Amino acid sequence: MWILDSAYRNGGVDLWTKDRTVTRIHHDYVPPFYIHFHDPHSHHEMIDVLEERYRSEECTIKTIFGEFPGYSVYAGRDVAEAIEKQANFDADLYNVDVRRDQRFMAEQGIAPCSTENDSRFSPEFTHELNIAEVKVLDDPALSAFCSDIEIIHDETTLLTGQTKDVLADLFFIIASIDPDLILMPDADRWMPKIRKQALKYDLDMPFSRNGKYRQMDSRSYWSYGRMEHKESALIPDGRILIDTEQSFVYQEGGLEGVLMAARISGLSPNLSSRFTPGTLISSYEVYEAVKRGIAVPFRKSDPELVRHVATLQAADRGGMMFQPSPGIYENVDELDFTSMYPSIIVQSNLSPETIEHTGRRGFLPVALEPLLDLRITTKRLKKIDPKFAGIDSILKWMLVTCFGYTGYKNAKFGRIEVHEGITGRSRDILLKTKDIAEEMNFCVLHGIVDCLWVQGAPIAALKERVEHETRLLSEIEHFDWIVFEPMNDGTGAYNRYFGRLSDGSIKVRGIAARRHDTPEYVRDMQGRMLKVIAGAKSIAELEQIQEEVKNIFRDSVKALPAAPSKSMAISRRISRLTYAHRCLEGAAVQAYQKQGVEVAPGMKIRYVVTDARRYQVRPEWVADSFDIPFYTALLEKAWTEISFAFGKEAGPEKNPGNFSHPMAMSV
Amino acid sequence: MLIELRRGMALHPCTFNAVIAPEKVMVSALNSNTDLQRFLFLYVSGNYSRLLSSINRSSKNFEVQRAFTSHQLFTILKEVSHTVLLLEHDPTLFEGAENMLPQIAEMLKDIGRESLVILYTPSIDRSFSVLMRQADHIIEIAPAEDPVGTTRHRSSRLHRTEGNHPYGQRTLEVT
Repeated sequence: MWILDSAYRNGGVDLWTKDRTVTRIHHDYVPPFYIHFHDPHSHHEMIDVLEERYRSEECTIKTIFGEFPGYSVYAGRDVAEAIEKQANFDADLYNVDVRRDQRFMAEQGIAPCSTENDSRFSPEFTHELNIAEVKVLDDPALSAFCSDIEIIHDETTLLTGQTKDVLADLFFIIASIDPDLILMPDADRWMPKIRKQALKYDLDMPFSRNGKYRQMDSRSYWSYGRMEHKESALIPDGRILIDTEQSFVYQEGGLEGVLMAARISGLSPNLSSRFTPGTLISSYEVYEAVKRGIAVPFRKSDPELVRHVATLQAADRGGMMFQPSPGIYENVDELDFTSMYPSIIVQSNLSPETIEHTGRRGFLPVALEPLLDLRITTKRLKKIDPKFAGIDSILKWMLVTCFGYTGYKNAKFGRIEVHEGITGRSRDILLKTKDIAEEMNFCVLHGIVDCLWVQGAPIAALKERVEHETRLLSEIEHFDWIVFEPMNDGTGAYNRYFGRLSDGSIKVRGIAARRHDTPEYVRDMQGRMLKVIAGAKSIAELEQIQEEVKNIFRDSVKALPAAPSKSMAISRRISRLTYAHRCLEGAAVQAYQKQGVEVAPGMKIRYVVTDARRYQVRPEWVADSFDIPFYTALLEKAWTEISFAFGKEAGPEKNPGNFSHPMAMSV
Repeated sequence: MLIELRRGMALHPCTFNAVIAPEKVMVSALNSNTDLQRFLFLYVSGNYSRLLSSINRSSKNFEVQRAFTSHQLFTILKEVSHTVLLLEHDPTLFEGAENMLPQIAEMLKDIGRESLVILYTPSIDRSFSVLMRQADHIIEIAPAEDPVGTTRHRSSRLHRTEGNHPYGQRTLEVT
């Protein structure tokens, strides 16, 4: 019984299982939530009413902090919130907002995308999913109709024509091939439109296997200081629909990553493909808690401890950095700790309940340990077999966010002291590693939180000693040469570097070729430069190819006026819709709105700058000209970044194309 | 023990005061008060703090606690036992938890019966307006560069005691 999908329907959990055929099994399931009153006597009337009106029983509530007397109430979230308010918030509620299908599976010890006998933590798993790809070739931002659709299954079918005919054919094919999984770019943008058109033309939409859909609302939200936007989604029952364009998990981990995320978190793959790694790790923690009979708090009410301000200041300092001296260095090794933060949680037993009671094993380390072990395994396996790369990537993201999640204000099992404890320990580890390296006569060039760049030998001996003393695993990457970029003030940038690895590839961080907002034309130029310099094994060899690289810059500037406008598109995630000052991003928002396209904070937009001085831009799809001096400056900047590989004297070459005045040029 | 915001304008023990003032006014009032060192002082901020880095923190009695959710603030207020409580208002705590505002306001008033409670914000917002309804005193000091004047009249159902105070502040007495 391989669980394909799950949903809470009609007072129970629908499990869709695949065993050659797909079957829906309904399990009656009405779970209670739990309530612990701080002063039950003052709420005795409410307790009586709860017993009368709903099924309510006295119980013991097991939490990570210990056991408390309370009541289990067989009612929904609305009742829980009403109780909370009526009790003047003087009560602790548990298991109010746990997804019922996830809770059911956790209690039963089963998980999506696996059978009863599978281990959720095994890197090897199989599936026999019947997969189809559906590509709507129209632009989802501009068109409400589908007139051009490609379906890839055993053969590729192209549907074109009137919307009604195209949709009728699409629905017929979907019903005929009956796929278990549909991969569809922009599915979440197209599905509401397709449903609208299906209703209009009285067509039966067959994406759901029982005609039912779950609705996820669109929303804009802040995440790690950045405004994000999530499209609304129409999720079919009994079939997996992955939005391959918008799904972060699919983009990072492919199908294997989505399925592994579902197995680990206990969420249906329809949800695991739509959630962020942060939501996945929190779901994983919830699943692990329910599995262990631990109640999941509804509200985050336990505050940090009262501290003297100096103590707080000493504790809340984040990760450690060593600033590099900008320049180029030969024969450098990067020592990178494997999953440092989650390893610290496990090794140092950091959990909300162990801050004040250090003696006992905490929930967080116990829950994270198997996930960490699995990641260490997949990291090793992906070097042998690339099929594990997607799974490894998702596990890496989940483990990265598990640290940040400990400090998240609404984390079910987080606490700020845990967050501070992790960074505090990481600072100690990086300092210790630096001391060891220097003691062994290595020269420490740079360090960021869990990485150290050193010159010296033997690196294997350093790795061994560091692993022995820190009890953390690490990996070494050897650079034939590496460039640490400068900041505007001339000091070394922490997160901008590129270098040639010993296998001949180039590792790049923070420069134009790696940035998401870089126009394709600029990225392409820097990419070609990097390709050329990848051939140089030493600083001496780099000097020999300096002119060749510089010519790429010159040629790019010369060819700029004739370049397609679309290759100048800048991609940005907008943080707001109104701007206090004039700026290109604000102009782009207005340009989108002028074109009749609805925008929301967190959405990605693509625009071409037509006159930077006048803040004039056009959406990518209507742009037919661009501001040549503006883009020349971007090319100069990208060349400058590379030029540091040739030493200071190389420098940027200003305006080789002689475009000294702003102008928009039609092409 | 008094905290003097400006000459002639003091915050008294056993009162709940809602203060809207520029950050430097608050910082100066706290840093210039040597008396404060003798009393247990709890500074509560939300997800960020505008004042903390500027406050003179040499006093051993100066303690800090941060609330990242309205429920955490609730727990802090339930357990507080300091002589002075300074709560730096963070409206994000109440996003989606507006129904907790009256309860929090009530708790601040209760604490204000035995301690000096200062609810501080540099600029007023909707959630602060709800919280300050229970305050014994509402004090607003406008920034010096305000071209309109240094006084703001707060529209409130509260009874006002009018008077010409230094710098044009208004203290609104709740009876």
